[in-house]
Amino acid sequence: MPQLLLRRARDLVIVLWVVGTVMFVVIRLVPGDPAVSILGDTATPEQLAVLRDSLGLSGSWYEQYAAWLGRVISGDLGTSISFSEPVLPVILGHVVPTLTLAVFSTVISFTVALMITLWGTVRPRSLAARSVTQVASLGMALPQFWVALIVILVFAMVLGWFPPSGYADLLTDPFTAVPSLVLPVVVLVVGDVAVYLIFLRESVTNEMSQLYLRTARSKGLSETRVALGHALPNALMPILTVMGGHFATLVGGVVIVETVFVIPGLGSLALQAISTRDYPLVQGVTLFVTLLFVVVNLLVDLSYALIDPKVRVS
Amino acid sequence: MRPHTLITSVRRNPALTTAIVVLAAMVVAVALLPLVLPSTRAIYPESRLMPPSWAHPLGTDSYGRDVLSRLVTGGRYSLGLAALITLCAGTLGLLVGMVSGFFRTADAVLMRLVDAGMAFPGIVLAMSLAVALGPSMSTELLALTIVFTPFVARVIRSRALSVSGRAYIDAARAAGVPSWKILLRHVCPNVLPLAVVQLVIVSAMSMLVDGALSFLGLGIAPPTPTWGNMISDGRDYLTVAPWLVIFPGVALLACVFFLNLLGSSLRAVVDPRTRSLNALQRLRARSPLASG
Repeated sequence: MPQLLLRRARDLVIVLWVVGTVMFVVIRLVPGDPAVSILGDTATPEQLAVLRDSLGLSGSWYEQYAAWLGRVISGDLGTSISFSEPVLPVILGHVVPTLTLAVFSTVISFTVALMITLWGTVRPRSLAARSVTQVASLGMALPQFWVALIVILVFAMVLGWFPPSGYADLLTDPFTAVPSLVLPVVVLVVGDVAVYLIFLRESVTNEMSQLYLRTARSKGLSETRVALGHALPNALMPILTVMGGHFATLVGGVVIVETVFVIPGLGSLALQAISTRDYPLVQGVTLFVTLLFVVVNLLVDLSYALIDPKVRVS
Repeated sequence: MRPHTLITSVRRNPALTTAIVVLAAMVVAVALLPLVLPSTRAIYPESRLMPPSWAHPLGTDSYGRDVLSRLVTGGRYSLGLAALITLCAGTLGLLVGMVSGFFRTADAVLMRLVDAGMAFPGIVLAMSLAVALGPSMSTELLALTIVFTPFVARVIRSRALSVSGRAYIDAARAAGVPSWKILLRHVCPNVLPLAVVQLVIVSAMSMLVDGALSFLGLGIAPPTPTWGNMISDGRDYLTVAPWLVIFPGVALLACVFFLNLLGSSLRAVVDPRTRSLNALQRLRARSPLASG
């Protein structure tokens, strides 16, 4: 266990270092002087020098790299240009909307997918069970940005049930927040249910062919008891990995949904940072999202060890 | 797998046949239709935002351009770019995966890079590259190659790893066959079928990401049509001219759906593990005792 933790901690540091370095290089790929493109042609040489200094763009590339690495290790992600504030508080201020979206859509998608899979396991010959793969494949093929526009067209423009965009804090203003969350969450759920369905189905099918189920059947258990009591709990284990990975990508991948529905989360912050060439912020958001991804996956692995004795021993 | 077994399993698999036929029809359509349809730049000012009619089967956009012409021309860019990305990410991923699965020393370094690549928020990298280098086809190709190579490499590596442990590889090594020759002669043919399956899935994913980037204005720039930027253009006319958004979306959806179908049914043909599973399922479905 401690060994596993140490190894994973080492991997985490390596992954963050590679991602940070890639972003360091990408930002320096920009043709011309970033300071000029931010301040414009009218800036004085002194102003440019000051900005270059604060961007960490003065000196040779290895000096820049060493300085950058030192600052990141000490937890200083620099100052955002467009917000004129340190990067970390800016990022933390945009986390809540994204997490709200990610948590709601993950919980709802998983519950829906589990219900459908349960039904399919108990009634394997029903229409629902037989068409689930096809429907899920369709769901996986849906372009998110297109679904977003279609649900806005149908449920906001034509039917007028929900607002087409906007965001409010769930705790302080729930009566505005809930209706405005419905459509974005629906868009995320449509794709996610499909992903979970495919994996759950594969996992359950795999589990149903195991020999211990034959034993269970030969004891005279009903097929429903066999499926729900024996196969499903075991089939749910691998889904944890899928859920963890998926939850983490969600946090980085809500750019589209947040942009279309005008939600001030990490995704729209990333887009804003990139289009305003706010380099420290771009770097910060990327590192933050990567850190989240790796940590969530680490937690999933650790929870495996807690749930499954086999993993703990190996 | 021998060619005739391959043909038989294709013919016996209706999903695979459907996917191949539909995708082939789409490729032919985007290749040939632009030759007979009006130019994408032809503007009919008198018929702006017209709903579908005989003259314009999919309607016209806000400039009065024919949506069908733009759709098939856009398909050339969307499909072409996906094919290029698949080719680049496929070649690179195959190389990295094989080397990593075969040489244990390279594995440690390469897999850390692949891990980082998988953890990297792909769309953020693509977006930053698009802004850094200017949105263009080659920027997108570079960005999405970086994003998708790890996905291919991961799968290839695990297969190459299991192949490298086989006795015939040891035999070849003992006989003094150089490593590069073992890779080319013995490892490559064994991982190739799996690589093809993974590539089909990558091409579907890259179409979705490319669509999203175009939609955000970071892909191929208008007036060159792509399915993504057509949907983005149509966004402002959502209530007055919904066909501007609906048709390109359906085209993208259909393309990705059939690519996924092609991938999953090819996997059933190529991967003996899932094939045996399917045979088992078939057996269980037939026997009244087994399925309760």
